[in-house]
Amino acid sequence: MDNSLLVSLSQQLASFRAMDVIANNIANVGTPGFKREAAKFEEYVAHVRPSEDQKGIQTVSFVKDAGIQRDLSQGSMEHTGATFDLAINGKGYFAIQTPQGVRYTRDGHFSLDADGNMVTSGGQPLLGDGGPIAITPDDADVQFGLDGTISATVNGLGTQLGKLRVVDFSNERLLVKQGANLYTAPPSQTPVTAVDATVQQGMLEGSNVSPVIEISHMVEVMRAYEATASLSASQEELLRNAVDKLGQMPN
Amino acid sequence: MRALSIAATGMQAQQTNVEVIANNLANMNTTGYKAQRAEFQDLLYQNVLAPGAQTSDQGTYAPNGIQLGAGVKTAAVYRITTQGDLSSTGNPYDVAVQGPGYFRIQQADGTDAYTRAGNFGLSPQGQLVTQDGLLVQPGIAIPQNTITVTINAQGQVNATVAGNNTPQTVGQLELTRFPNEAGLNAIGSNLYLETQASGPPQAGVPGAIGYGTIQQGFLETANVNSVDEITALISAQRAYEMNSKVVSAADQMLQDTTRLGGS
Repeated sequence: MDNSLLVSLSQQLASFRAMDVIANNIANVGTPGFKREAAKFEEYVAHVRPSEDQKGIQTVSFVKDAGIQRDLSQGSMEHTGATFDLAINGKGYFAIQTPQGVRYTRDGHFSLDADGNMVTSGGQPLLGDGGPIAITPDDADVQFGLDGTISATVNGLGTQLGKLRVVDFSNERLLVKQGANLYTAPPSQTPVTAVDATVQQGMLEGSNVSPVIEISHMVEVMRAYEATASLSASQEELLRNAVDKLGQMPN
Repeated sequence: MRALSIAATGMQAQQTNVEVIANNLANMNTTGYKAQRAEFQDLLYQNVLAPGAQTSDQGTYAPNGIQLGAGVKTAAVYRITTQGDLSSTGNPYDVAVQGPGYFRIQQADGTDAYTRAGNFGLSPQGQLVTQDGLLVQPGIAIPQNTITVTINAQGQVNATVAGNNTPQTVGQLELTRFPNEAGLNAIGSNLYLETQASGPPQAGVPGAIGYGTIQQGFLETANVNSVDEITALISAQRAYEMNSKVVSAADQMLQDTTRLGGS
């Protein structure tokens, strides 16, 4: 097959990938703590034989996946007023105990389970400095301080219940998304206590997906795809003409 | 093409969102109603290239990796159990709970249900019942010829009967609380049932530590904030629209693809 068709093909596959990533961003526009992603592509240079009137080695550039980059910027803060809705302002993650081990999240929507433990919507306990955080019905007016300190009024007296475990990583891009708003830390990343993070009670961090950016990227990808498709079509036309013309027997 | 199905999950999620908002708005004037919110989570990721994968023998690593998302799902629709405003009605059998706690109601089948809606009335036998005629527990009977009924903050029900100026105590309202009240199962008619998630009910006297107090002549209104709901509705509608734009863009790309082999 002709190189131009293959180059077009590589661009079309890349467009499909880019579209999938944009679709995922838009689908998660309302997911708390979601970080938008962008597909990055790179050039793949192949060496080809020179044609008749060319000198030296010729190159053809294909498009190739380089990676999907997570945009780690802060999402918008949405006020919910719920006691157990927490948002992290700055760099940091909540630690969640799951059956597979400790996972990390920026989705700060928690509620209580039947035992009074603070859990995610999946029922997995949120971790404080001393394990899961238990709130009893006697704890009135539960407050979370900016540093994650939990206090409540018990029998009319202010009592400290514990402290949230808010952690940070040296390179948070290496965290692996695993769905359900959770991240897994690879062995190379050890969680350390976050220094540049404050906890806001009664708020949720929304996604950092910006509709304008996503829609304009979507149109851009769609048009690029269209352009490549018509390029392939004209290339095909060229080939057919060549076969037609060259195949004609001289009379 | 994955974008089509991803956008479909987005549309589905926003549809749930709009339904939850619609239900909140419909119940704006329902006594004791607690607003609900839909909570979303991202779906599984397919790891094409894990972040931090080694890219050469010299110890270079991929900084980002390629993780392809599969869209969004509704993780939960949870109830926001904040206090609603109290509105004055002047009706002696309207009681509102200020603070935590539910009234215990005996259903027709004898099992217990719980409610925050204190718009009670009297049965033909003079018992305190809900608007559906279900008995409030523990049972309180108002004697005949009662002129005035007062219910104090601690839930004590006193009745003044004709011919006797001294009010007599005829009953005591109780409140029930749960370790996790958001885990109660709503069954309609303002009633909730105990579940595994709510934890066991704990009965107590109004005004005791950890329980609310009773306000006679008031009803607790829904804690729905119409401004919040309308803004949430607008953003849900826009998000739905964007997802449908993705569907048409993906469709356009697929059309271009099928046209490739043609002519």
